[in-house]
Amino acid sequence: MKNTTTTIQPNIEPQSRWRGYITTENIVTSLTSLIIFVAIILPLFWLVVSSFEVLDDMGFDTEWGLGNYYEVFQGRVIRKAFFNTLMISTGTTVLATFLGVLLAWINARTNCPWRDKIEPFNLIPFFLSPFVGAIAWHNLAAPKVGFLNNIARAIFGIESHIMNVDNIFGVIWVTGIFFTPLVYLFVVGSLRRMDPSLEDSARTTGASLFRTTMSVTLPLVTPAILSGAIIVFVTSAGEFGVPFKLGAPYGWDTLTTQIYSKAVGDDANHYLGAAMSMTLAAITGVLIWIQRRIIAPREYTTVTGKGFRPNTIDLGRWKWVALGVNLFYIFVAVVLPLICLLIVSFHPVWEGRIIPADLTLWNYKKILFFWSPESIGIATRGIINSFILAFSGATIAMILSILISYMIHRTKGFGSTMLDFLCVIPIGFPGIVLAMGVLVTYIKTPIYATLGILLVGYITRFFPYGQRNISSIMLAISEELDQSSRMAGASWLTTLRRITIPLLKPGIFAGWILLFVIFLRELSISIILYSVGTETLSVGVLYLADFEGDPLTAALAIVQTIILLGCIVLFRKVAGKEALTA
Amino acid sequence: MKEEKNSDYLIIENLVKYFGDDRAVDGISFAISEGKFLTLLGPSGCGKTTTLMCIAGLHKPDSGEIRVGGKSFTSLNENIFLEPEKRDIGMVFQSYAIWPHMTVEKNISYPLEIRNFESSEIEDRVMEVARLVGLDDMVGKDATQLSGGQQQRAALARAIVCNPSLLLFDEPLSNLDLKLRERMRLELKRIQNEVGITSVYVTHDQAEALVMSDDIIVMSKGKIEQSGGPHSIYARPVNRYVSNFIGVANLLKGKISSVSKTGLSEINISQDGKNILMPCVLDDKKFREGDNAVLSIRPENVYALREKPEGTAIEGEVIQTVFLGNYIDCRVQWGKFEWKVQAHPRERLKKGDHVYIRLDSNHSMAVLP
Repeated sequence: MKNTTTTIQPNIEPQSRWRGYITTENIVTSLTSLIIFVAIILPLFWLVVSSFEVLDDMGFDTEWGLGNYYEVFQGRVIRKAFFNTLMISTGTTVLATFLGVLLAWINARTNCPWRDKIEPFNLIPFFLSPFVGAIAWHNLAAPKVGFLNNIARAIFGIESHIMNVDNIFGVIWVTGIFFTPLVYLFVVGSLRRMDPSLEDSARTTGASLFRTTMSVTLPLVTPAILSGAIIVFVTSAGEFGVPFKLGAPYGWDTLTTQIYSKAVGDDANHYLGAAMSMTLAAITGVLIWIQRRIIAPREYTTVTGKGFRPNTIDLGRWKWVALGVNLFYIFVAVVLPLICLLIVSFHPVWEGRIIPADLTLWNYKKILFFWSPESIGIATRGIINSFILAFSGATIAMILSILISYMIHRTKGFGSTMLDFLCVIPIGFPGIVLAMGVLVTYIKTPIYATLGILLVGYITRFFPYGQRNISSIMLAISEELDQSSRMAGASWLTTLRRITIPLLKPGIFAGWILLFVIFLRELSISIILYSVGTETLSVGVLYLADFEGDPLTAALAIVQTIILLGCIVLFRKVAGKEALTA
Repeated sequence: MKEEKNSDYLIIENLVKYFGDDRAVDGISFAISEGKFLTLLGPSGCGKTTTLMCIAGLHKPDSGEIRVGGKSFTSLNENIFLEPEKRDIGMVFQSYAIWPHMTVEKNISYPLEIRNFESSEIEDRVMEVARLVGLDDMVGKDATQLSGGQQQRAALARAIVCNPSLLLFDEPLSNLDLKLRERMRLELKRIQNEVGITSVYVTHDQAEALVMSDDIIVMSKGKIEQSGGPHSIYARPVNRYVSNFIGVANLLKGKISSVSKTGLSEINISQDGKNILMPCVLDDKKFREGDNAVLSIRPENVYALREKPEGTAIEGEVIQTVFLGNYIDCRVQWGKFEWKVQAHPRERLKKGDHVYIRLDSNHSMAVLP
């Protein structure tokens, strides 16, 4: 243990001062950070700038000022839209969180009958478009033409209607049931990965099943529940399709429908739109910040390298109630709307009643047979464009997600903290808001009016969904699994390829499907950024709803739905059962 | 000359690692010879794992040097930091880090595949190490089918399969049950002996350290308290901390009253208002008369006698006896102090017995407080 300074020498390779920093890892991660930084910060910067530009009365010139914000809080219409947005988001969050947690618990932790068969159906609403749901529920429960109301009138002989979704409650109802799977996905994954001995040990202390669930299970999945709830709040605040269909035409405007009318309407005012966007983003942004404060210190590593077998709780006779709850949810969120849309889509004109003599496939011809002269171009183009966008968007976004998650969870220091923060920003900014930012940023570049601008908008807004998917798994995977590969002599890239990515595979598949589906039915970004020739599927549906009748709209909605359902089936085969539940 | 080179196989010099403002490793230096088994021992948070991570290259130290076999792994002065994969180190992690998406065979062969070995050679090597660790009938299984002990063996096989220059263990036995842990200690030591790879082992379990190591470094708060062979650490602790951490000891505060270069020195213990002079060994510690010191005596060097011995008598009462088969763990109350005594079963000590304590003065160590 002495004389330690003399015997060194041989193999020391001379290294320049900076060589230690130029590694594959550092190059790849720095580049990714830069891309993400520019993609997120630029649109927001221009959005902020435009929100302080006030359009003069003539509509030609602008001057700096707070006029737009004054209008947001004092203008009668926008202030009302502001409060409507808050009420809708709150209602939606309560409904979706309640249903989502309940269903997740039933499916992950109880012996509810046939749950393995039912589980995939719980996720279906999430893969479908809420906008399509709104169209379906409008056809079902509008006061005059609503199918259910007509049936009720026929059976009970009443004069008026039994239900009406053309108001704020309708918006909450449809948004709530369609966003339930958001909470469900978060919570079910967390429940499945939870070490069952945590519950078992509570039971052995004498705590009842109910008490254990309340005092151990739920607190342990609280981060997942809160994440889900906040995502629902933020998503529903930014939801455009449902209020556009069920709210705005009946006097229930929201910020999103107002932004839309300021962006493309006759009284277009991008600057006022930007100010509204900033207001909306302020609410959602603050919420996300709160989430980070509450959830970040509560992230539990619930799995280690060892395997767990989650156990189930015997509900006794209550299991039939659980089954009933689950089936009811699937009925109102999936079965009823789809049946209704199918029926409507077979009619030349919809009057709220089935007319067997008139049933036809004519509507489908018009929206699918793009070679036929009678086809509606906006519908056929929308299908093709959406496929291109969804495939390329999901792939690019997942590659970014893997790299970013890696940086956040496997590297330390300022860079990883900043990235983590950056990835939260798009979640805090509703699609329509970000789209406004993207619009004002790229309007003078060549990508404007191409599919490129839609792609940029999609990825910027939604890659955090993929990233969260990966992060949650990466948090659960011990870092030692990566480290041991480095110790075995594998480089950073090899470790990523052979250890990290294979371990993340369920998360990567889940994330990819998530994004593919989100992109395939995306409306609120598309509606701001599309132009003639780059319409998407949902833009097509909206166009038909505005300018054609219910049956054509229903037909395209059904086509979109069938494509989405096909995706689910296909990917369940490719990725196995894991993919949708991990 | 050869000896000289050998004793400096792994050299750590002045290693410092901060976590925030916290000095996790506070300028430690040590070296070990080729083929030896060194244990870093200490409670959690003492910096032992951080030191190991720095050797592995998984943490970058804030200053210091690490060299293995003459090759510089880390030298902050010269801006050298070798990537972990270029260090040729085998490592066994606390969680074993067996990759769940691979078979046992794939797990073990991974380091060989990375190094582009021929597939026939890979097969041979994998079987060889699998046999060595006792997993030869498990290689085809999925990694997730392994028990804790088997995962442990697989992790070891993976670490040694390509004959690394250094083997690192991060508390590898802490997740096993006691029986298995005791067996694996000997097994690990046997395998390490067989492959002869220089090893650094991190643990908080002193029994593990004593059983397995050629050398032990006792750490606390990022610093080295004492280093040496298991026997000398146990028998000749330098301070109260080491004495207390390794094994069990009777510790009495006192002042050195006389220093002898050749024979026994004396320490003045004051207990319940009385002062008692006790003979003690100083070793080469630089005590002077009047210095504060702690007397440290292992229970096996303390005798509880029924008859009064010659010289200073310490009288006490047996307050607890625990029969452990080969000896009796006995507590004797002496004023406020409680002696821990290892008594022979045939003494038949009972609770309430009046006894005299005699100390084996050759094993009564005066240590730093």
